[in-house]
Amino acid sequence: MTELQAEQGVQALEVPHEAKTRRNRDALIALAVFVVLALLPTVFSSKLLLDFVIRCAAYGLFATSLNLLVGYTGLISFGHGMFFGLGAYGFGLMMQKTGVPVPVAFVATLGITFAVALVIGAICVRLKEIYFAFVTLAFQMLIHSTILSWVSLTGGDQGLRGGIPRPPFLGIDLSNQLHLYVASCALLVIGLFLMHQIAQSPFGYTLRMIRDNATRASFIGIDVWRAKLTIFVLAALFASTGGIIMALFVSGAYPEFAYWTISGEGIFINMLGGVTTFLGPMVGTVLLLILNDTVTRLTDYHGLVLGIVILFFAIGLRKGLMDFVVEWYAQRRSGGGERG
Amino acid sequence: MTRTRKPGVSRRATLAMMGAGAVSFATPWVARAQAKTIKVGMPTILSGRVAQLGTSSRNGVMLEVEKVNAAGGLAGRQIEMVIRDSKGQPQEAARVARELVNTDGCEILIDAEASSGAFAVHEVARDLGVLCLHTNSETSALTADPKQHIPNAFRTARQGVHDSIVGGSYAATIAKAKGLKKWATCSPDYAYGRDTTAEYVTYLKRFAPDIEIISESWPKLFQPDYTEVVTKILQAKPQALYSCLWGGDLTSYIDQANIYALFSQMEVFAVNMADYTALTVVKNLPKGIHSGNRYIKTYPATPENAAWGDAYKAKYNEYPTNWSWENATAIMLLAEASKKANSADGKKIAEALRGLKIKSPFGADGTVTMRAEDQTLVGYAIGWGTTIPQEPYVPQVQAGDWKTIFELEAEWKKSKGYT
Repeated sequence: MTELQAEQGVQALEVPHEAKTRRNRDALIALAVFVVLALLPTVFSSKLLLDFVIRCAAYGLFATSLNLLVGYTGLISFGHGMFFGLGAYGFGLMMQKTGVPVPVAFVATLGITFAVALVIGAICVRLKEIYFAFVTLAFQMLIHSTILSWVSLTGGDQGLRGGIPRPPFLGIDLSNQLHLYVASCALLVIGLFLMHQIAQSPFGYTLRMIRDNATRASFIGIDVWRAKLTIFVLAALFASTGGIIMALFVSGAYPEFAYWTISGEGIFINMLGGVTTFLGPMVGTVLLLILNDTVTRLTDYHGLVLGIVILFFAIGLRKGLMDFVVEWYAQRRSGGGERG
Repeated sequence: MTRTRKPGVSRRATLAMMGAGAVSFATPWVARAQAKTIKVGMPTILSGRVAQLGTSSRNGVMLEVEKVNAAGGLAGRQIEMVIRDSKGQPQEAARVARELVNTDGCEILIDAEASSGAFAVHEVARDLGVLCLHTNSETSALTADPKQHIPNAFRTARQGVHDSIVGGSYAATIAKAKGLKKWATCSPDYAYGRDTTAEYVTYLKRFAPDIEIISESWPKLFQPDYTEVVTKILQAKPQALYSCLWGGDLTSYIDQANIYALFSQMEVFAVNMADYTALTVVKNLPKGIHSGNRYIKTYPATPENAAWGDAYKAKYNEYPTNWSWENATAIMLLAEASKKANSADGKKIAEALRGLKIKSPFGADGTVTMRAEDQTLVGYAIGWGTTIPQEPYVPQVQAGDWKTIFELEAEWKKSKGYT
C-alpha cells in the first residue's frame, strides 16, 4: 500500500507531455472498448446480453462514481443512491411532462443534479467519517420521502407510470433495445474515461492526499472543503447518468431507486470489486449482477448466497477482487505491478 | 520438489472460464414456439416482508395449472411455469420479466407483482408485446387510466375503486341504522392506504352525507408499534373507525388495540380483515368487526368455492389468500380463452379474453368476466360482513351490487378524466 502511494506520488510529478500521451492512450483504449461492446450484438444475438450490459452501464457508472468518493477521497457516502434516483426521476419527469428532446432532458437532468449535489455537498463534506456517512444517508432518506409523499408529481410509491416517452433524435431511437444498448455503452465508456481522467489528474492526486492526510493537505494550501465538494458534485453527476440509463431500461422511475438499499448495493459492489483500483467497482458490478442473475434463477434463497459471498470477501479475502488480482499479478511479475 | 507454477488460476484457465461465460450468455438455449410445452413466466415477490404474496400466488397458480395440464394444457401444449423472485424491487421485476420472455422463452407473463413492480412489468409488456396478466395489483389506474392501456395486458384482480364503492355503501347503511356520525380512519401511509381511504370516505359520505371524519392516523407501513395510534383514536372518541391496514400490520394493530378494549368502544370497519392471513393470525379476534371479503371459502357460499378452498388447504396445508384466488383466476381465464381461440398464441388468446365470461368459484353469480373495454376483471364476489372469533369467521356476507358498482365506477372514471 505504501509502495503504491509512493509510486502515485512520483506519477503526480510527471511532466504534462507524458500526461497528454497517457490521455491519448486512455482515449484509444476507451474507443476500442466501445467498438468491441458495440459489435458484440453482431456476434451474439442474445437479448439477455444486451439487457445485462445496459444494467452494467447503469450500476457501473454509479459504483465507479461512488469509488471516487470512497476510494479516492475517503468520503464514505451512504447516500450516493439519492443521485441515482434523482437522475432517474429527473429524466423521466422531464420526458413525460415537457416532451423535450432526449439530449436536452439529459443535460437538464445533470443540471438539476448539479444544483442539488452542490447544496447537499456543501452541508455534508464539512463533516468527517461517520458523521458524513450518516448525514448523506439522512439526505437520501429525505429525497426518498419527498418522492413518496409528492404523489401529484412523482406518483408516490407507484413510481412514474405510463412509460417514459423517447422520441428519436439524430437517428437514435432509444425505444429500440439495440439503440439503447449502444447509447448505454457509449455513456458507460465516456463516463469511465472522464472519471479516469479525474482520478489521474493533479486534482485526483489532491483527493488521495486529502484521504491520507487532510491536515497536511490544508497546510500546504489546498482548500480541502472545495476539493471535497467538487468531487462530491462530480460523482453525483456520474451517478445521475447511471440513474438515467436505469430509467430508460425499465421505462419508469421508482422510489426504490432513491432508497438506501441502492447506496448499500453501491458499497457492496465496491467491496466486491475493490476500491484501490479504478476498475475495481466495474468488475464488482459485473460480478454482482452475474451473481444476482444466476442465483435468482436457481434459488429463492439468493439472500443467503449473496450474504455468504460478501462474508467471504469481507472476512476471507479482506479486500475486493481487483485488489486481489492486482496484488497477485504484481507478485507473479515479482514486483513490477501495474494498476488498472 | 520445486513448483514450476505459481499458485492461483492459470491464464489458460482464466481464458477458458471467460470463454465458457461468453458461450453461456450467447447460447440461445430457448427452443421457441415449436416446443410442445408452453412456458408461462411469473415474476413475483418470494422473499422479504411480503413473501406470502408470492408463495400464495404461486400456490393458486399451480393448483390450477395442474388441472389444466391434466385436461390437455393450452391447445394441447402443457403449461410449464417459470416463477422467479423479484425481491419486491421494480427494476428487478422488469429485469426478471424481460429475462423470462427473452431468455427462458416464456410466451405469456403472469405478473404477480405488487404496486410499483406491476407498473414496471406493464412497461415490459408494452415493450415486448407479450400477453401479460396482472394478478395482484389492485391500483385502479393500472387499467382505468387510458394512458396505461395496452391490448396485451389484462388484470385478473380486484380493483380498489370497486372495493371502495361497496365498502362505502355498506358502511353508510350501518351508519344510518346505528347513528354513527363521528368517524376516524387509520390506514398505512403509502399510496394504497391513502387512495383507498380517500375513495372509501368519498363513497361513505355520498351515501350518508351527515358523517364527519374527526381523526386520521397514518401509521407507517410495517410499523411494529401502534400504541400511539390506538390511544390517539381512543382520545378522539369516534363512533366508528375505518382501516385498510392489511396482513401483519392489521393483526399487530388488532392485538395491540385489544389491550385497550378499542373494539368494544366503536364500530370497526377493516376492509382487509376477512382474509385468512389476518383471521387465523390474530390472537383474539374480536366479534363484530366489519370487513370486506378478501378470500374466505364460505363466501360465495357455493359448494364450488368451498371445494376450491378445501383442495387448496389439503395441498398446501394453509388456507388460500386473496392473492391465491386472483392468480388462480388468471389460469382459469387463460385456459378458457385458449379453448375458445383453439390456440396457445398470445395474440389469439388476448383476442379471446376480451369480454370472456367464465364459470368461477369466485364469481358473485358463479361467473367472472374479463371486461372488454378496460381489460379488467368484473363480477367477482365482493361483499361485507362481521367477524366471529372462530370458523367460519365471517358467517354472513352481504353481497355488493354490481349494478351500483358499474354506475359509480363510470362516474368515478369520468371525474378522473379517464373517459
